[in-house]
Amino acid sequence: MGKLKNIILARLLTRFPRLFDRSVEKVAPFHVEGVPWTPFTKPLTAARIGLVTTAGVHLVGQKPFNMIDRDGDPSFRELPSDTPLGNYTITHDYYDHADADRDINVVFPIERLAELEAAGAIGGLGAVNYGFMGHIDGRHIETLIKETGPEVARRLVGQGVDAVVLTPG
Amino acid sequence: MRRFTQESGSPRAVFVKWPMGHPLGEPGRVDQQMIILKDALRALETIKTPGTIIDLPYRWKRYEDLTDR
Repeated sequence: MGKLKNIILARLLTRFPRLFDRSVEKVAPFHVEGVPWTPFTKPLTAARIGLVTTAGVHLVGQKPFNMIDRDGDPSFRELPSDTPLGNYTITHDYYDHADADRDINVVFPIERLAELEAAGAIGGLGAVNYGFMGHIDGRHIETLIKETGPEVARRLVGQGVDAVVLTPG
Repeated sequence: MRRFTQESGSPRAVFVKWPMGHPLGEPGRVDQQMIILKDALRALETIKTPGTIIDLPYRWKRYEDLTDR
């Protein structure tokens, strides 16, 4: 029942933005110390760009994100840039992803980024992109901040990625 | 969502006040998706102050707003 309730609620919040605004207001403020900052010095035409999404994107065959734990799921999935489009899927009951199911680029603009690379507007893509599921609460926040977030950052740096576009669900 | 972006200390961000689940826009609208992606990438070069959020001027389904800058 909890799963169905979440899906119905997600559809309502997508259709009625004011309801969504009100639900956001109810979430307790969350503050992190400072803003991380790395100057961006390369021209975009020479930069390798990665994609990270919190829209619940993963590959068909990978373990889906946990929809039973009320605090969500702070784990991530590796999404190779050369994945055929039909191999992406979304597990995320907390927003309505019917449109993103029809066209993954709505939340994960992998085709658009590849087109920019082909046009020479960016230097290249990372070999692997990363998918999170953005409903992360309670004890999982610490796991995200201390473990899975930094691990993904390390892997991106290891691939020579200069900057990342992070998209929400 | 804008509030969450601010509170999480994102170094650079672009924001559209569009329905949840549509950060790049609508399915099949390649032009729309490309404009948002280009604006996000451009912010890498234009934002000089950590924590800046650029509010993009595009209204939901108002295609006259989508001029490729």
